[in-house]
Amino acid sequence: MSSLTNIPCRSRRVQRIGFILLLSAFAVVALAQDGSLRPPSSAVAGQAASIGTSGSGSATFYLIGPSSTIKRDVQLGQDISLAPKEIQAAGRYVAVVCSGGCTSAPFFVSPAKPASMIFLVHPSRAPVAQNDVVSGVAVPLDEYQNVVLAPTAIEFQLAAKGSAGSSRTIEAKDGVAWFRTSSGKSAGPLQVEASINDVTARRVVQQVASDPCHLRIKGERTPKGIMVETDPVRDCSGNPVPDGTIVTFTAKDGDETSTVDAPVKQDVARARIVAKGPVVISAASGVVMGNELRIGGQE
Amino acid sequence: MRSLLQKLRNKTVWGAAPVILLLAALPLLSAPTDPAPDVTLDSAKASPRSVEPLTQRSVLRDYRFAWSNLAQAVESNSTQPLNGLFVGTANTWVTDAVESQRRNGLTSRYSNQRHHLQAVFYAPEGDLIELRDSAEYDLEILDGGKTIHNEHARVNYVVLMTPAADRWVIRQMQSVAQF
Repeated sequence: MSSLTNIPCRSRRVQRIGFILLLSAFAVVALAQDGSLRPPSSAVAGQAASIGTSGSGSATFYLIGPSSTIKRDVQLGQDISLAPKEIQAAGRYVAVVCSGGCTSAPFFVSPAKPASMIFLVHPSRAPVAQNDVVSGVAVPLDEYQNVVLAPTAIEFQLAAKGSAGSSRTIEAKDGVAWFRTSSGKSAGPLQVEASINDVTARRVVQQVASDPCHLRIKGERTPKGIMVETDPVRDCSGNPVPDGTIVTFTAKDGDETSTVDAPVKQDVARARIVAKGPVVISAASGVVMGNELRIGGQE
Repeated sequence: MRSLLQKLRNKTVWGAAPVILLLAALPLLSAPTDPAPDVTLDSAKASPRSVEPLTQRSVLRDYRFAWSNLAQAVESNSTQPLNGLFVGTANTWVTDAVESQRRNGLTSRYSNQRHHLQAVFYAPEGDLIELRDSAEYDLEILDGGKTIHNEHARVNYVVLMTPAADRWVIRQMQSVAQF
């Protein structure tokens, strides 16, 4: 009987010891797998960094970033090195280690120093002497094409042939700096430059003559008709208008009116008007009217 | 005795019915309720140019599509859903992210997305808009079928969008610790 009662007692003891051992083993495994992460507090794009880990044993490490995902085996308790090329994109990364369970920690990588920029300048052709017609927007980028969001002073320089250049420094706000300016008085290329330290971007705006300002015509009767032509057509700043600018000649012969459109070619527009009687000829281009020209009848 | 057994069997069947129904409905309950991201845009503070109503609608529409497509791309590990709404650096980043996920056997799941956009800069010529996105979403990252990371994330993004032929496209999308 005693043997019969002793057997369960022993087995209970064995069970208890086994249970305690099992618990201890779990605790040891749990401690070994405790892979808490210490991500870098100020990582910079394209610069090596490391993530601290605690615990012991092997684990799988994941790094999920804006442009890449990394998976590799690591040893807990040792720092995980991140190579410069593994954190080139600025933004939020999630570091994860899994050893049984998973532990994660997000961290941010900030952009490196400016190395290039987006530089938009408008328009490509601008009429002279127009207010606020030229504008530019600059966005500084680091060498990995991250937008540099830290306040950055950008110098804009404008230089046109035959006039003193101008310069202004604007601090980029939220990664963007912009300017707006009037066009110069002379036709020709306007060089627009944006600089951040030794990084420079250049664009060219072609300044062209504005609308014709004064229009004067002269003419004479010839055997083939009345030949009329303008004086050199210029805008109000004295720039010759571009070839192809249309000048409309109107001839009034009694009750009859006829019109001829002629393009400016090398500053002058020419037309031939066929009329036998006396005529009054005028010219217009855009909103400008020229003088009236009276030509007598054919003899 | 037999009738007692029958009664018990009936009770078991009827008792199990709600459990069976619940199990059957479980996949439906766990599916995202609304896969389309919820996006709002505040353009009152945009400068130097004010955002035209038509532009506001287009930006809102295309940003929503972009995030919906991004979520599909990282969940299916395919760049096909991106559908040209990301260009330049943004496209390179998203494409690289999808391809490196695929190489490593990972997938990501964005759900319950909410984006509050604020237009902070609209270029004088209307060819660039800068947005701040205060985003919130559930992010689940899986290795094979195993979830390795699950969080309700609040992330701030600085976004540059430019107009294309028939839509606004994302040129830069950079998450930041704070605005």
